[in-house]
Amino acid sequence: MRRFTLVAVCATALYAQQFKFNLDHLAAKASDTVDLSLNGSTLQFAAKFFSGKDPDEAKVKKLISSIEGIYIKSFEFKKDGSWSPADLDSVRNQLRAPEWSRIVGVKGGEGAENAEVYLRNEKGKVTGVAILYSEPRELTVVNIMGPIDLEQLAALSGHFGVPKVKLPK
Amino acid sequence: MDWLEQELKSALARKEPSPGFSARVSTAARRPRIVAWPRWMAAAAAVILIAGGAAGYRQYQGMVAKEKVMLAMRIASGKLNRIQEQVMQVSR
Amino acid sequence: MIAALRVEQTGCEFDELVREHQSMVFSLACHFLHDREAAEEVGQEVFMSLHRNLATIQSPAHAAFWLKKVAVQRSIDEARRRKRRPQVSLEQVAEPASSPAQGDPMLGETLRRLIATLPEAPRAVVILRYQEDLDPSEIAGILSMPVGTVKSHLQRSLTLLREKLIRRGVGEA
Repeated sequence: MRRFTLVAVCATALYAQQFKFNLDHLAAKASDTVDLSLNGSTLQFAAKFFSGKDPDEAKVKKLISSIEGIYIKSFEFKKDGSWSPADLDSVRNQLRAPEWSRIVGVKGGEGAENAEVYLRNEKGKVTGVAILYSEPRELTVVNIMGPIDLEQLAALSGHFGVPKVKLPK
Repeated sequence: MDWLEQELKSALARKEPSPGFSARVSTAARRPRIVAWPRWMAAAAAVILIAGGAAGYRQYQGMVAKEKVMLAMRIASGKLNRIQEQVMQVSR
Repeated sequence: MIAALRVEQTGCEFDELVREHQSMVFSLACHFLHDREAAEEVGQEVFMSLHRNLATIQSPAHAAFWLKKVAVQRSIDEARRRKRRPQVSLEQVAEPASSPAQGDPMLGETLRRLIATLPEAPRAVVILRYQEDLDPSEIAGILSMPVGTVKSHLQRSLTLLREKLIRRGVGEA
């Protein structure tokens, strides 16, 4: 019984994002909200509808086959000051856990764009990516879960607007 | 031009927007467009659901899931693209 | 690679258009709505629309024409949404509270407030005429309006504004 409970708890954790976003209170103030929760089974299901013959779709299909979840919250606001640094601090605090490491930090300062990218490492393998992006009138948090092949992500360059990302060695 | 027209010219002289306006516009323009439900999907969904029954509904669900994945990829990749631009600007 | 270069080029062109025309677009909206914040929102919408339609812009002159047209249209849309000023006939335009003298800087603000209470079409005509120094045929093209109608709006608006101000002891008959 105890073992069953432990497995059930682990299974539940795998279906949720790797950190709590705690940003739902911003939806009321936002002029536009995107809230995407795509767990592993949804991604596997969606993958079936990507064409294997179309080169671009085939690449995306291959990438998402290894991803265990994609969770995104993005808010756009009509006015500056609709979100505060404290809103992102609660996310950053969770990304201070030892399994997370920050690989990119761009600080434009107040009134400009700020962005951070974190990688989650477990037993020497990448098991997650977190992106924190903010502007005066936008806040976006992305969590991609799973043994992400960063080279595959880089190989999507130029397709569907995916950037050329230089990966840390 | 009489006195009123002169006053109107003066009163309606161009003004500048607040500082950073052009930067905000340029930033917003570079943001990936989050496309709301494409119209073709709504039409296709209706046809599939009416004609296809259970299989049609599964097809519709698949289209919905695929569109969500595409949206997620656009947002995530758009942000990475923007971050890369910023890093490259800083390194110059 | 070529596509990426073209995107960058378009991006530079767009930024340049924004810098060149931001004052014009913002001012059209600001004078129409008499609200700086609303004018900035409208201005941003206008430029986002330009960004989406950049491929259709044929020349710098076309860009300027296009921006004027869209700025006025979006300002009208915003004014209708906000309904900050009830639509009144020219004869019912409210008089300013104070009586500024000719040449007084307050007269400028009085005029701007008066203009913002004009009905949409005469308001747009007056702003395009005196902010952008356009002649009636150019205004007619932007507003998709007969030249005769433009001239009529202009004449009636000037007559009314003059009467209102003279009654308050400003200007000459």
